[in-house]
Amino acid sequence: MKVNEAAVFKWVVIVGAVVAFLVAVTLLTSELVGAILFGLFLVAGGVYAYRWGRRKWRGSRD
Amino acid sequence: MESATVTAGHGHAEHHGPPEANQSSRIDRQTLGILLFIISEVMVFGAFFASYFFLRVVVNPAQWPPEPYELPVAVAGLNTAILVSSSFTVHYALESIRRGNRTGMKLGLLLTWMLGATFLFIQINEYAHIGFSGRDLAFGTIFYSLTGLHGAHVFVGLMLLSFATIRAFRGHFGPAAEDHLGVEVPGIYWHFVDIMWLIVFLTVYVL
Repeated sequence: MKVNEAAVFKWVVIVGAVVAFLVAVTLLTSELVGAILFGLFLVAGGVYAYRWGRRKWRGSRD
Repeated sequence: MESATVTAGHGHAEHHGPPEANQSSRIDRQTLGILLFIISEVMVFGAFFASYFFLRVVVNPAQWPPEPYELPVAVAGLNTAILVSSSFTVHYALESIRRGNRTGMKLGLLLTWMLGATFLFIQINEYAHIGFSGRDLAFGTIFYSLTGLHGAHVFVGLMLLSFATIRAFRGHFGPAAEDHLGVEVPGIYWHFVDIMWLIVFLTVYVL
């Protein structure tokens, strides 16, 4: 795993894109829809982080 | 085990003081240090977000923001654009020094600092004109707590960027990774500040 500024900047772009999408959806629909989508993104992010951690740990042990 | 620990080898004749600490071969200690610090700060923000959602969802007042208070979403949106731009400029600074372009690094750091200071100025101006204080209902308290906590982090980031900029102009940094950690570490911290603002903006101003 590369841990440097470029790797963190990648996440600035990803989070920025997600937030821009959520802002657009909220303004076009309602706050409830935006909040639900935000929750879904949080869950998806948590699942991704969990699976990434499992892959990382598995790789470290091999 | 895949990860190796490296201990510096010193001759016995030259040994002074305690032995040098073990360090990972996979990450330098400065980067590890800032990552651990950021993780701890995420937990602090998490506590404040938990308080915000408790007030908004569990207490569930009739209206949010409560009357007659309003949040300046457009101004906060402008501030968001400014802070996101500053992440691009600090990334430009680091890409420049990785390629040996010291002028680009200095320009990127200066732009980042100015954008960050502008963000903070607009935030303070917003506090002065928003029409409520931290003592006005729980809403006022949590608003100032969450945005103020973030503002304090921006201030710390500006201090780090100041050190990095001064050192950049003194010619301290080079293209090798270990020669510009003084820019890399503030850059990582600044990206964390930016990402945290995006989440604050979304939850407090938009949703």
